[in-house]
Amino acid sequence: MKNKTGLVFFPAFDWSIAPIHPEREERLLYTRDQIFEEGVLDLPQITEYRPQVATPHEIARAHFCVPDVDDQVLVAHRIAAGAAIRLSDRIMNGEIRNGFAIVRPPGHHAMRVVHGNRGFCSINNEAVVVEHLRRTYGIKRVAIIDTDVHHGDGTQDIYYHDPDVLFISFHQDGRTIFPGTGFNDELGGPTAYATTINIPLPPGVSDTSMHYVMDNLILPILKDFGAEFVVNSAGQDNHFTDPLGSMLITAQGYAEMTEKLKPDLAVLEGGYAIESALPYVNLAILLALAGSDYSNVIEPGNTGKIVENTQVTNYVRQVVDHLQLVWQKRGEISVSQLCGSNKYFQRQKNIYYDTEYFEEKQLEKVRACLECPGFVAIDSHAAQPKHSRSRIMAITVHNRCCKKCIEEAWEVYNDAKKDYRYSYVYMQDKTEDTFLIFRREDQKEWHTEG
Amino acid sequence: MYIGIDVGGTCTDAVLLSSGKVHATAKIYNTPENLLTSLVQALDSVMKGVSAEEIERVVLSTTMITNLIMERKYDPVGLIMMPGPGRKFQHYRNAHVHIIDGAIDYRGREIIPVDEQQVMQALKLLDAEGYDKVAVVGKFSTRNNQHELYVNDLIKKYQPHWQVEMGHRAGGRLNFPRRIDTTLLTCATKEKYHYFVQSVNEALDNRQIKAQVFIMKADGGTMTLASSEQSPVETIFSGPAASTLGAQSLTAAGETSVMVDIGGTTTDLALILSGKPLLSSQGVLVGDKLTQVRTLAVKSVPVGGDSVVEMVGKELIIYSERMGQPYCLGGSFPTPTDALNVMSLTKLGDKSKAWEAMEKLGKPVGYSPVEVANKIINLVVDTVVEEIENMFMGWEQEPAYRIWEVMQKRRMRPQNVVGVGGGAAGFVPQIATRIDGTPVLPPYAAVANAIGAAVAKPTLQVTMRADTEQNIFSVEEDGYQGRINQSPFGFEESLSLAKEWLIDKAKKMNIGDEVQNVEITRQEVFNIVRDFNTTGRIYDICVQTPRGIQWHIGAEGKLYEK
Repeated sequence: MKNKTGLVFFPAFDWSIAPIHPEREERLLYTRDQIFEEGVLDLPQITEYRPQVATPHEIARAHFCVPDVDDQVLVAHRIAAGAAIRLSDRIMNGEIRNGFAIVRPPGHHAMRVVHGNRGFCSINNEAVVVEHLRRTYGIKRVAIIDTDVHHGDGTQDIYYHDPDVLFISFHQDGRTIFPGTGFNDELGGPTAYATTINIPLPPGVSDTSMHYVMDNLILPILKDFGAEFVVNSAGQDNHFTDPLGSMLITAQGYAEMTEKLKPDLAVLEGGYAIESALPYVNLAILLALAGSDYSNVIEPGNTGKIVENTQVTNYVRQVVDHLQLVWQKRGEISVSQLCGSNKYFQRQKNIYYDTEYFEEKQLEKVRACLECPGFVAIDSHAAQPKHSRSRIMAITVHNRCCKKCIEEAWEVYNDAKKDYRYSYVYMQDKTEDTFLIFRREDQKEWHTEG
Repeated sequence: MYIGIDVGGTCTDAVLLSSGKVHATAKIYNTPENLLTSLVQALDSVMKGVSAEEIERVVLSTTMITNLIMERKYDPVGLIMMPGPGRKFQHYRNAHVHIIDGAIDYRGREIIPVDEQQVMQALKLLDAEGYDKVAVVGKFSTRNNQHELYVNDLIKKYQPHWQVEMGHRAGGRLNFPRRIDTTLLTCATKEKYHYFVQSVNEALDNRQIKAQVFIMKADGGTMTLASSEQSPVETIFSGPAASTLGAQSLTAAGETSVMVDIGGTTTDLALILSGKPLLSSQGVLVGDKLTQVRTLAVKSVPVGGDSVVEMVGKELIIYSERMGQPYCLGGSFPTPTDALNVMSLTKLGDKSKAWEAMEKLGKPVGYSPVEVANKIINLVVDTVVEEIENMFMGWEQEPAYRIWEVMQKRRMRPQNVVGVGGGAAGFVPQIATRIDGTPVLPPYAAVANAIGAAVAKPTLQVTMRADTEQNIFSVEEDGYQGRINQSPFGFEESLSLAKEWLIDKAKKMNIGDEVQNVEITRQEVFNIVRDFNTTGRIYDICVQTPRGIQWHIGAEGKLYEK
């Protein structure tokens, strides 16, 4: 029983962002054809599950949706996140060894505060599942490895101050592709230093250098960190035929990477070469997870003659060398070194919502606590096209927060409720799995618990 | 008048019906080795006093092909397969399997051409091994059959007497390994099935029966006897489907029921949801072969009236084997039937023998015969109830690929527990109590299978896929692939094409009346977008004749008296 691989396939054949948008009904059609035709669902080592629908509370554990979950999250998003939850439950109860959620819509660009859709994402499927795992099963250490060609900026944002979640993303350098972030100096906040690792790669990386990164950086870090649960944000746009990315990875490369990474749960992210890549890459990853022979999954167009520029190879080695050093010396960096005697560490962020063309301005503060990860308070405002301009205050309390941080976090929440500038005030207290929304307009407060 | 005949494992049952009334029933114990004899006996029995002209329709359900496959009495078949890139199929390789080049992709485009030399080499080897039946199956051949046709033409040219079966004709759905096995079985059973059809036709001719003859399929529909020759495997496991339709016919329309058919050593369960038998999402498994044959969702539980019961320590165990008759009927082992007898839940068998059987089981551990009988009945009921629950859960947990499919499914539990078959009477009320349903033991429960056959209706389905970028369309059920000759070709046109295809098909089979109403079960449109331009559309449309039964034999199902 323990050797099985679970699959939730949710292609959302009745949902698209727009008829000719890359995130459209057709995206997983040929993947469906390939997976059905290969008969892999009849293999004894693969079990297919139906997705479930993530509840608003499950989503609110990871996000502050403005004004509320229902305003930002469609049923399609809830099902995609629910698919990941379903598989995580089956993994935890021992029914399956690992799982693959081949779902859309994707999620890794969705940040903690959600004013709208960015990079085709509204909610972060990985974060929803990680919060579910921590709350339901008491899992302490989780790693999210993002192998999409784009920087997983949403996931990074959510776990930037969380020392219990290791986030590693390799991606095409932000100077050449959306979302323009993910540089190697983005390493996490003072209480979570080096639990965010970004590996920006130059365009033109082939299987060889990708495996170099895996073998010399990602796998050793993963081993040192000692995660109890590994999630793979499995974007497939590093494929050599992807229209958005400029990488040279093959289906074989993806499968071999999966075999090395051994994720407990892989969740599909991007990948928009819906004919030339997705059917083959998805099949190869699924077979690799199931421990089946994938050596014959060769996509047409792959002549076996992909050659990487030596400049690219050398550059990748330098990136790896540098980050190896950062990882080795991470212990020498203390909270006070990162923010001096300041009580808070703060960052200012401008977040662009590329689907609906508007910007959010954020001031994020984390309490530079020496006892715990600290609580985070976010002051954010944006003019959502579908709602009016609003400014919000959102506070999140890590499940390991110390008494002092918890107290202070609630003070901030209560003060913000009295502050006329905030249309909405949110509180996410993970020590008790509580979620609160306060609406200024009518002074109403909603409260949910898990 | 309609005749339904179900040739089962041990018995052949027949009924004569008209307008929802049962006129005659028959139960014949099968003559092993010659199912046709039993079939004819049953037919003659229900036709007593009825003239041949009055018979409008005859529907048969037979285990003939199922038995052939289970007993591996089918003909040997060689296989030429073209798997192309993807999963490794090397494990298929053996003396009668030849893997050759040639690959098609999911949209029917050629990736790798077929190599004539390899085909010739395969034919040479198959010939040397003495094969004269060959299955030719390619991956994605349902999207483009050119490779299969090419190999077929070569075989016809060099081995004109060989029987060739092509994958796109035998197994039109997406699933290459299942297409292989479906094609192999089709090829392996066609000849023997042909003789069966011939004999049935002769028997009917001899009796001057001019009625249309249909044969049951595993999905509860029927096809004409003539058209069934193209796909004999469609007739496998039609027995449980017949029983399910019988249960459907014997209960009120629109209700949710579980059909419980308790036989000698197995209990078949099927679900009728809001009046419609539930189809399995997967093709049927026959022997060790997974096929593409559509079937009702039937669960076979290995426990029945004649199952052997043993006391192991203080635990009772029911074995799936049958070791002869129940003790109370002269057998040598205690069975659930003996337990029923002790509890006065059946009149079957000798009461004192039944008590003796229970006493034998209970004595070593100090249980009274009544205690033992109770425990056995509870054990059977537990097993069946657990499986019923599993079936509903399985249905609720079926994969869903669309938002509406995820959102529309509601928890459902049966209103009725309908007992059919011989052993039902004793257990059904107890099962019903446990799952809070109404026990239904309809009249004619013993021949519900034959009633199901008689009320079954011809079902035709057309699954059409049109790709307007490539200007091609295909019909899954017929293995047809052609070009679109219409411009513009939009959604309306594709829907009409599918409907016309269905109507044509019905006319060809002489069942044109069945297509007055056409149900659309799927209508999906996918924009094919390349470089931000819509370059075509894929239309995926499924139309069918309404699925249903001829009549409900409810309260008025009294034995008709002349």
